[in-house]
Amino acid sequence: MSAVQATEPKPRLIVPRSVQGAGISVLGLVAGAAVWQLIGAHTQKSSFATFTATISALWGMTKSGQLTDALESSLELFGTGLAIAMVLGFVIGLLLARVRTLRIGLEPYIVMLYATPMFALIPFILSLFGFEFRAKVIVVTMFGIWPILINTMEGARSVNLDLLEVARSYRSSEPKLWRHVIIPYTLPYTMTGVRQGIARSLIGMLASEYLLAATGLGNLILTYTNQFDTAHVLAAVLVITLLATILMSIGRAIENYFARWKAGV
Amino acid sequence: MSNGGARIEIAGVGKRFGDLQVFKEIVLDIGEREIVSIVGPSGCGKTTLLRCIDGLVQPTQGEIRIEGTRVTEPPRGVAVVFQHFGLFPWKTVYENVAYGLRLAKASKEQIAESVPRHIELVGLKGFEKAYPYQLSGGMQQRTGLARALATDPHVLLMDEPFAAIDAQTREILQFELLRIWESRPMSMVFVTHSIEEAVLMGDRVVVLRGRPSSIHQIIETGLPRPRTRDVFSSPRFNEVREQVWSLLMHEAEQAERELQEVR
Amino acid sequence: MSAVTPDITLARPLGLSDRTQRTLLRIATGVILLFLWEVLVRWLAPAFVARPVTVARALPHVLANHVPPGTPTFWGSAEATAVAALEGLAIGVVAGVLVGLTMGRLRLADRLLRFYVNAFFAMPIIAMVPVMTLWFGFSNSVRLAIVSLGAFLPICLNVYDGTRSLPAHYVEVAKSYRARWWNEWFGIALPASLPYVLAGFRLAVGRVLVGATVAEYVVSLKGLGYYIVYDGRTFHQPEMMVAVLFLAVMGVLINAAADLATRRLLPWYRRSE
Repeated sequence: MSAVQATEPKPRLIVPRSVQGAGISVLGLVAGAAVWQLIGAHTQKSSFATFTATISALWGMTKSGQLTDALESSLELFGTGLAIAMVLGFVIGLLLARVRTLRIGLEPYIVMLYATPMFALIPFILSLFGFEFRAKVIVVTMFGIWPILINTMEGARSVNLDLLEVARSYRSSEPKLWRHVIIPYTLPYTMTGVRQGIARSLIGMLASEYLLAATGLGNLILTYTNQFDTAHVLAAVLVITLLATILMSIGRAIENYFARWKAGV
Repeated sequence: MSNGGARIEIAGVGKRFGDLQVFKEIVLDIGEREIVSIVGPSGCGKTTLLRCIDGLVQPTQGEIRIEGTRVTEPPRGVAVVFQHFGLFPWKTVYENVAYGLRLAKASKEQIAESVPRHIELVGLKGFEKAYPYQLSGGMQQRTGLARALATDPHVLLMDEPFAAIDAQTREILQFELLRIWESRPMSMVFVTHSIEEAVLMGDRVVVLRGRPSSIHQIIETGLPRPRTRDVFSSPRFNEVREQVWSLLMHEAEQAERELQEVR
Repeated sequence: MSAVTPDITLARPLGLSDRTQRTLLRIATGVILLFLWEVLVRWLAPAFVARPVTVARALPHVLANHVPPGTPTFWGSAEATAVAALEGLAIGVVAGVLVGLTMGRLRLADRLLRFYVNAFFAMPIIAMVPVMTLWFGFSNSVRLAIVSLGAFLPICLNVYDGTRSLPAHYVEVAKSYRARWWNEWFGIALPASLPYVLAGFRLAVGRVLVGATVAEYVVSLKGLGYYIVYDGRTFHQPEMMVAVLFLAVMGVLINAAADLATRRLLPWYRRSE
């Protein structure tokens, strides 16, 4: 009769899974930086700067104020264009949702504009509005407005008929209907469109800085590319990526905030 | 405190949708302080009839008058409680209850006075800031009821209000509604497909039958008020219930037979 | 006083079928829009700006490739862009599906790559175009790289989402039949994530078109982006507009195709919702 001896479990380091996960992510980032450094070290400065060179270029631009100026200019352009896109997209979307004839007539053209790369229209805009800030704002607006408009329109159209009937039974006037029912219902949809609009407007911002008067972050990229200075170019790309990530997070947060009354948010 | 009820006169009302005549020749008067239950099989148009009373739907034949005035659109003083609750998901309980008052351009003081009172009346004190998605079905319907009552209506139209609610909560809500009605009697039309509920709630039970449906019979329940749970075991209750049941059963069997023939 | 109706209808319906009415209304709106475009540009804009009449006049020449020598032809440019777009889409979709599946099924890959994929997805990829000219020179590789990246990111993210939201019981069933990992991945995870792929595909096409046109502009590559900017700068706006309209039509057709594909290939997806 033999008994199976239970062996003592070996002492192990217990790392909770969440820490493990975060640890691997950090490892991934560090590995990425290392790979960057390696590639940079083995290529010319004019092809691929090292990670450290990029960071020091970034620091240099910040200290000299060049980066802040560029950021300010680009953000002003982006902000103005997006704001107009939000207002126009929301208002027109609501209008189209309520006025059936307008919607049916215009819908195919709006869908067409949504599917067209707006870049193709930049030269046309240029011929009408010039090179400067005004034209670039129009470009940014044109990039960002379509998802906002379409999402608002689809949202406002889908208002639950039951709820419309409730409003009727309380003798709601048209303005009150908008204020109490249609607009609050539509806002979550609009914010989803705004999130997409943020991404598109960013592209519009850069595209207008490439094609029209070069300012801001786009100008940084173009200028340093012409000087074969990859350290500064990559630094600018890094800044844009960071900016974009932050803006997208804000966009998602806004979207979730406005949708909080939907079941179980 | 409450202004009491209003006379509802339904004169020869019928409704047709396209080729389909849903109901016809409905003649019914509802008094100022009574609850009239309307019961009938699915598709008999009782919900549509209710909507005609509120002016949400126009009758094809006949007319409806409330306090002598013809109904063409939702009249003042009439409030509806819906089967689907009809709460606005983006509004809190407080805002939902305040909705009717805001639309009627009530003053801030009026709203601040009336809304908390009605929220407490339906037993939802403490839930003012909750959103509908956080509430159970029973609580949502309480909110719907509070919203209707906050406008101080003379006529309360109930459209199968407890159909979407579980049985136990339903019974609780039925007696709460009765209790509230006792404190402020008004004209109430209670549409339901539950025979028990119709007899429990009503002073009279209107039985709709036929295709197209019409009033087959109006039965006085003759049950004492205020109603308590004892009423379920009273002989009169069972008598009326059996009567209504047999009236409707005939219809249901007929429908089943027709279905069989089609097959 | 109640003024509430489900929505406000302005025109009174005629006796025609619903579908015909809609089409007529849309055509009428289109004509009105064209008219407005024509009139506004004639009155308010310089003479060279495109308007429907001049575009219509230029259309037959452009389509017949009649252009001054040395200037880009329409069909040549259209072909170049289309080929580049399709290549990029192919690379992006394949790579996106593979990486997305991997990230969805292997936690390690997820943790390692997630940050990069999200960052690149948020970034406007045209920021990379100038730097790519330093890496690849002024060549087609720049456009291919941008276009592939543009297609890869939304597909990867969508497939990742789809794979992660795979109901666990699908895999349980597979395991009970002793499926191997490639059965799980390609037999279950892939079809389950197809709807997400199609959703990502629309985004991908949008990004591909933007990426291609911008790259063509920056690198002066033969293609619609270059064609449009070139004709724009040389005051050949009507010719330019033909290309813009072509891109618009392309965008619409591809979206419609994606719609159709979703309905046809994935009827099961709809039903299970």
